Amino acid sequence: MQLERSEKAAIFLERLPQKVNRQIMLSLEACVHCGLCTDRCHYVLANPGDVTYAPAYKADRLRKLFKAHMDWTGRIAPWWVGARSVYTDAELEELKDTVFGKCTNCRRCSVNCPMGVDMATFNRMARGLLVHVGVMPEGVSHVAKDQWEIGNQMGVLNEEYLDTLTWMEEELQDEYGDPNIKIPVDKPDCDVMYTINPREVKYDPRTIAEAAAIFHFAGESWTMSSAGWDMTNFGLFNGDDELGAAVAGRVYDTLERLRAKKLVISECGHGFRSTRCEGPNWGKRQLGFPMESAIVTMTNYIQQGRIRVDKSKNTVPVTYHDSCNLARSCGIFEEPRALLKLIVSDFREMYPNRAENFCCTGGGGAMSMSEYTPRRLQSARIKAEQLKATGAKIVATSCHNCVDGLYDLIRHYKLDMEVKLLVNLVANALVPTEKIAGKAVPVPAAVEAARAPAKLLAGYKILVVDDEPDVRTYLRSIFQEQGAEVVEAPDARQAMRSLLSGKPHLMTLDLIMPHKTGDWLYWELRKDPNFADLPIVIITGYARMEAPGVDFHKFIAEKNLPPPEAFIEKPIQPEMVLDTVLKILGSRMSLQV
Amino acid sequence: MYEPSPLLSFAQDKLQVLALLFMATVYALKIRWILRFPAGRDFQAPHGTERTDAARGARLSLLAIAMPWTMGSTREHPFLYAQFVIFHLGVAASIAMSFVIPYLPGLMRNTATVMALQALFLAAALVGIARLVRRLTSPYLRAFSSPDDYFSMALLIVWFFLSLLAAPNRPQNGEGPLLAYFFLTAFFLVYVPFSKISHYIYYPFARWYLGRTLGHRGVYPLARGV
Repeated sequence: MQLERSEKAAIFLERLPQKVNRQIMLSLEACVHCGLCTDRCHYVLANPGDVTYAPAYKADRLRKLFKAHMDWTGRIAPWWVGARSVYTDAELEELKDTVFGKCTNCRRCSVNCPMGVDMATFNRMARGLLVHVGVMPEGVSHVAKDQWEIGNQMGVLNEEYLDTLTWMEEELQDEYGDPNIKIPVDKPDCDVMYTINPREVKYDPRTIAEAAAIFHFAGESWTMSSAGWDMTNFGLFNGDDELGAAVAGRVYDTLERLRAKKLVISECGHGFRSTRCEGPNWGKRQLGFPMESAIVTMTNYIQQGRIRVDKSKNTVPVTYHDSCNLARSCGIFEEPRALLKLIVSDFREMYPNRAENFCCTGGGGAMSMSEYTPRRLQSARIKAEQLKATGAKIVATSCHNCVDGLYDLIRHYKLDMEVKLLVNLVANALVPTEKIAGKAVPVPAAVEAARAPAKLLAGYKILVVDDEPDVRTYLRSIFQEQGAEVVEAPDARQAMRSLLSGKPHLMTLDLIMPHKTGDWLYWELRKDPNFADLPIVIITGYARMEAPGVDFHKFIAEKNLPPPEAFIEKPIQPEMVLDTVLKILGSRMSLQV
Repeated sequence: MYEPSPLLSFAQDKLQVLALLFMATVYALKIRWILRFPAGRDFQAPHGTERTDAARGARLSLLAIAMPWTMGSTREHPFLYAQFVIFHLGVAASIAMSFVIPYLPGLMRNTATVMALQALFLAAALVGIARLVRRLTSPYLRAFSSPDDYFSMALLIVWFFLSLLAAPNRPQNGEGPLLAYFFLTAFFLVYVPFSKISHYIYYPFARWYLGRTLGHRGVYPLARGV
């Protein structure tokens, strides 16, 4: 007997084939039901015996539909392969309970699946299909509506946002006794445009002030914007690619309108992932500007000596919680740890950590789904045990959702801990210096010009070859500040093209790059009479990385090549790079003279 | 010199060829089906250290199954991983044997070789039984297992036992074990494309795409604290 299908179920199934791409299809087909994902999920560990939390079980709720409608085996013998269609709204509600209420899309099962099944991706797709027919938790509906209509997911009005910035600016001026500390808005042509999470405006404006203080003391040319300032994106959580593309697009368009050179994204796991990683995919946009997490920005400021910090101001034991979106979806593992080691005196790792860390249980939009709160707190037991075992008094994280999730579980499990963002700890360790603070005092242009030191690299052309846009931008800023003409190349082939169109005075070269490596380019240049004398400075991070099979020193010895003029290991120390380049160019000039 | 019966000659030669042709055809159709789905693209700039990029991520992902230490799921379950290795070696050996017996029987004359194969088939069959028991007794596995999951495992267990009996390749002592082995192998080849056993067709694609995406983002190789 043919069962009658509800309108919502019919639309859901009609849309299913449009949303299944090759990666999702493979994830739906490849599962062998081995069950190795089962004990990787914090829901399973916290709810022993409840099979409905097992990742493979949850995945099969969607897989059944896929097999019934898109897989020939499911059409020929549905009962044999576990295929089953959906007919009623009640069944859609059951699916909603699974994909929204029993999974935070943390991707821990995905990276543990021997077959490469990426459950988090198709769970998100299932959310999107349900949202399309209006089946979703009420909170998800409200938040998505706010983000579509008001422009940010917390419904913060623009006046409220701008008032908060003014308020924080005044707070900062009072705190540091400096009326020149500003939170600039819509300032064009800055080096950095800073975007935030609306939660910062609504509940935690202090983080905006802290970031502003850091930018100020670093002497950064930065701005915030009056539109497109929300880098969070509920499209990631509700599976709505159109929403995702629209929200991320607002940020990109604003940056392009203000002609800022770089987007710095404040601490937010899903915001960073949505803006940096998924936004270009949802909008199918190739972007011409770099984006970085504020974690990296703050670390660079400290390492470059642009701000000074005193780690003795943070003596309480600190551990770090990896945001799932930052870690398992964007590869940010070491950056926060590097920063913490610079700003706290007692850092303790939690176990497991990095790619194997457990979800805070507030991810995937869970904080907006109050109907699942008891379930969320029950499953948070695993995280609570992890935190307790560290003996730390502060759990640092780099995500506002994690802050809320961790705060809830700390209260629920009565842990003696508090949650902090990295920016809180950096700001606490910040040592305001008169020298840098003094930069904020306006100086007449003529006086400034008279004071300006001589441009040490004026008249020189430098080719920067590195596959990392951030590194190229950084090196460019170092050389340009000294008056050099800088040409960039992201790989060896483009570098070769650039060299053939005009020989520079010096080239910096990264060794490990896609396609042709730096070794290859080095070899090609050294054996070419036109370029054999080109000064080359190797700037690489491989020496401190595990890179089996890569040994540049051995390479040049085997090929009988002359050594490079200099060899610098990352992280880049600007003074060292500049000194090295000046020495090389200086000696060349004196030789020519 | 023993002359095999017409039925055994057919079973170990023409029947296998037909079954293989059928399997290859269905696999070709499967791959065509996979490729009909549009592949998602990465528009975002790469991220991560020099240790990783999309190509390296894809390579590491493909090799992950041979590196049990890289995933908690395999690292923390060494017994299950060892079962996986034995089981799949048994499958590979039995498939190879279905070619060796009819076309290169000289390779199976050495008693030690035959005994080693029999030991492997016995171990694989025992692993298969352990896996079937696990599937039947674990409430988690039961909750998402389909009839195909149980049948595929039972089929392989029987096939391993028949492989064990067929390995000596002595039809002169009775053609029964060889006939059973070759007929079941043919059935296996025809059934596999419609069952979960065909997962190895999906494996390279699924792992390659996952590794490419996560390598591009600097997630692969997976970082973990020690």
